[in-house]
This record gives sequence, structure tokens and C-alpha cells, in this order.
Amino acid sequence: MSLKENLIRIFFFSIAIVSALLLVFILFFILKESGAIWAQVGIINFLTKSTWQPMATPPQFSILPMLVSTLWVAFGALVIAIPFGFACAIFLAEFAPAALARLIRPVLNMLTGIPSVVYGFLGATVLIKYLEVSFDLASGESLFAASLVLALMVLPFIIANSENALRSVAQEYRQASIALGVSKQYTAIRILVPLAIKGMLGAVILAFGRAIGETMAVLMLAGNTLTIPFSWFAKGEPLPALIALELGSATPGTSHYQALFATGFVLILIVIMVNLSINLFLWHWQRGL
Amino acid sequence: MKKSKWVLFLVSALILGLLLISGCANGQNSGQANANNTIKFGGSSTLAPILAKCADDFTEEFKTWQNVDSNLPDEPIVIFVSTGGSGFGVKSALDGTFDFGMVTRDLSADEEVSFSDGTIVQLGSDVLDVAVNYENPLTKVKTDLSIEEIISIFSGEINSWSELDETLPERPIVVAVRDLGGGASIVFDDAIMKGTPISTGALQLPSMGALGGKIMDNADTIGYVSSGLVNQNPDKLIPLSVDGIAPTIENINSGKYNISRPLLLVSPQTPDKYQAAFINYLKSDKGLKVVEDLGYVAVGQ
Repeated sequence: MSLKENLIRIFFFSIAIVSALLLVFILFFILKESGAIWAQVGIINFLTKSTWQPMATPPQFSILPMLVSTLWVAFGALVIAIPFGFACAIFLAEFAPAALARLIRPVLNMLTGIPSVVYGFLGATVLIKYLEVSFDLASGESLFAASLVLALMVLPFIIANSENALRSVAQEYRQASIALGVSKQYTAIRILVPLAIKGMLGAVILAFGRAIGETMAVLMLAGNTLTIPFSWFAKGEPLPALIALELGSATPGTSHYQALFATGFVLILIVIMVNLSINLFLWHWQRGL
Repeated sequence: MKKSKWVLFLVSALILGLLLISGCANGQNSGQANANNTIKFGGSSTLAPILAKCADDFTEEFKTWQNVDSNLPDEPIVIFVSTGGSGFGVKSALDGTFDFGMVTRDLSADEEVSFSDGTIVQLGSDVLDVAVNYENPLTKVKTDLSIEEIISIFSGEINSWSELDETLPERPIVVAVRDLGGGASIVFDDAIMKGTPISTGALQLPSMGALGGKIMDNADTIGYVSSGLVNQNPDKLIPLSVDGIAPTIENINSGKYNISRPLLLVSPQTPDKYQAAFINYLKSDKGLKVVEDLGYVAVGQ
């Protein structure tokens, strides 16, 4: 191997290590900043009680309402986005005329470039008002409103990645279908989708990670109340909104500040756990086939 | 092949090490390279726009320090303003990250002591009005709430306008507040709630603008907003009197109306000649006009 090749390898290897280390350092830093709060409140209390009162004496830090809100909002967004996303991906990959697909794809890609604060602002001025007027609600902020806007935000991710997965299925399957006289619809739904399902689920995980961590849009739409939401149409305060709202005014080093970092740690752990479990699931599934 | 892997590992480790070391070295340098003709402000996001506007005007008007005061050297004026909350302002002023902390709440007793040998400058006050939407029927019945009534509304004890007054419609009360623990919510707690927790069903809005906007958009909403916002939207936001005291300039300046917080600049050191020149500018008519233009009550001269 030439020296030049070695140097290039070393360079990229270092970059790969640095980015992997970054995750470790971030986790370590957040854990360090959250510090004494874990012992003070207790992990179980922190996760399962429902009172968040940073200004009370003594302050109380429990994030169950926010945890529930986060899951409502993220899964709600997926429930809305997945059917549309998959359907749109199948259409683009298999049925759409080439000219139409060439037109739609860049538009979808551009959607991903719209800043989330713009989505949030649109939602706050248009969607909230619409919900208030048409359903005669006292106030339109709700987990549903946040889910709806989040769904719009993750839709392009789901479509683009699912479409790629579908396109990477080998051409032979399509040719065999045509040779056997199988309808195009049957081929797409019963043959291509099962073959591409791993990539399509990957798209969903990516969307979930984005939905659960999205801050600005949910901050402006979810209402940020501290009650446990028992319905999709209740208000709630997802974890990222809690952190964004209160971190600015929390004095560094206080238990309030530590509790917010602990909240961030929980948020990261949720994303990592979802990623790992889906990957494990897919791995077992493939071996089982 | 095995040997090349070792080389790969070693060189990678070396690069990483160098990166880490250079990172540390940079940190030390920036701590020392604190040119004393620049002024750095950090802290409350309420004060930041005021300071940024004043700093712009100041730099625009004078360009170099010599034009401000002929005793000062002929160096360009550089003023940094960055935000991070009042708590961050106090901390970074104490540890020297910034020359001045911007704080928009009353200082705690401990903080008062830390800055007693240094500088505490008040530029004005941020006054909170309890306000409702102009379409709210309440404005036709009464424009005065007692402290007890306000507490029962904001703590969630009563949830419907009809519970407040029988002639009002049976519509839910939407309580809108700023984030718990933020400057505005602490002011409101000190002046009105006195420790009674805000209802868990209250909407928390991420900014004063959003809070004002919510009240302007929604006829059932009640909330506390900066007096500046009320003055800018006199047709849409109706301020209420508290225990018979209206939030007028006279009542605010006489201290009768007390739902307010000071706008403070703090530093553990006494200002040097550059800083003193800029602070004099802030306290001049030009500086205080900016405070008023942005919706706050400027400190009396």
C-alpha cells in the first residue's frame, strides 16, 4: 500500500473516530451537568411522578407528563405520516410517470430545508386558529396540532428513504412479474414492499428520531401545560419544549439546571434505545428468514 | 498488513491527541486575550435588544473611543451583546466571561453582596399588566380584579368566566403564562401568587410576544404581558387594574403598582473608563429613549 493511500486512510479513520467519540463526549457532558440531581430526586421518582415545580420550595422534578407528551406527539406524527409517506414512495418509485416524479422529488427535498421555526410559526398562526374556530375550542394548542405539523416535517424523510429502498430492489423481480403476467399493483404491494421493508423501516426510525427531538414546532404548538395528557387532543409539554423553555432562565449549577440536563439525557437515551431495538429486531428477523 | 494497522492506529491517536491539546490551548488563550477596549455584555434576553440597539447607535455615532472622550485612545469601539438568561448573566459576570451581566429580576441577597463592591446599574423596569382580549365580555363588566380573584384564576381554582362573575358567559378561562422560573413568572409570583402554584393547565408561551399574541387572538385568554406590548396594542389588549390600582405611569413610578422587575447591569468590578463612558451613554436621554421605545419604563433620571 502506498504512503498516500495510507495517509488518506488514516485521515478518514480519525474523522470517523472523532465523530463517534463526539456522541460519547456529549453523553458524558450531559451526565456530568445533570450531576447530583439523580441522587437527589431518584431515577424512579424522576421518571414516574407527575409534579414539575422548579420554583417551589423544595422544588419538585418529575417528568412523567412530559415523557407521555413526547411519546404522544412523536408516535402521533408517525401514525399520520407513515400511510401517506409509504403510499407516496410506492407511487413515486413504481407508478408515477418519470416526468412527474422528476417534478415532485425536488419539491419534497426542498420541504426538508424549511426551518422548523417557520413550520411552527405557520402552525401557530394558521392551524391553531383554525382548530379554535372550527371545533369551538377554548384554545387550539394541542398534541394533535403538534403531531400534524411534525408529520408534515418528517414526511419528506419517509418518502425519500422509502423510495430509495424500493428502487434498490433488484430489477429481476419486476421483470419476472411482467413475464408471469402479474399485475403491477400486486408486484408493488406483495413483492417489492416486503423486499424493501427493511429500508422503509429505517426511514421510519429516522423520522421518529427527528420527530421526538424536534423543538421549535412543538414548543409553539403543544400548549406547554404540565398535566399528563390522556388524549391526543389534550395539551402537553414534550421534553425538548421543556428544555428550550426553561434552560435560559435556570441558573447554572442549581438543581433546576441539573434537572433540565437530566431531561436531555433521558431524551437522548430514548432515541438511542429506539434505534438499537429496531436494529436488533431487524437483525433477528433477517436471520429468521 | 498487521504492521500497517499499528501505524494507522498510532497516527490516528497522535492526530486525536493533537486535536485535544490544541483545543485546550485555545481555551486558555481566549481567556487571557481580553482586550480591555471591548465591552462584553451577556445575560437576559429581555435586556439584550436594548443593549444591542444602544451599542449600535453608540458605535455609529462615535466610531472610535477618542470621539467619545478625547482622553481615550484612538481605537475602534467594539461592544458584544449575547443572551442566555438572567441566571447566566449573573454567573458569567462573576466568573469574568462577560464584563457585565444583564439581569432582569431582583437580585438575591447573596448576589447583592457579590456585586456590592462593583456595579449595579438600573436602566428601567419591565412592568407586567394583567390583560385580556378586547372582545372579552369581562371588559364590559369590570376592569378591576382583586388579588384573590387573580390568584384563583391563575391557580386554576376557577375555570370558567361565569364563576368569576355571574353575568359572564360559561366559557373556559384560558390562562396564559411565561415559562415557570423565567423572569416574568418570578415577578408575577412575588407580586401576586406569593408561592401559590400556577395551574398545571396554564399555557406556557415561549416569548412575551407570543403571550401577547395569544391574548390578542383568543377572546377567552387572560395573562400577564409587558406594559410595552399593551401600549403598542391599545385596541387589542385591555389591561386590568389590580386591587383598584391601574398600571399607569404615575402608579408605576410611585411604586403603588408593583408587578414589575428591574432591568439591571451588574459587574463585580467598578467600571473602567471605557465602560463608564458607555454606561453614561446608556443612562443619557438617548439610551433611556431606547428603553422606552422597546416597551419598558425607563428609570427616572
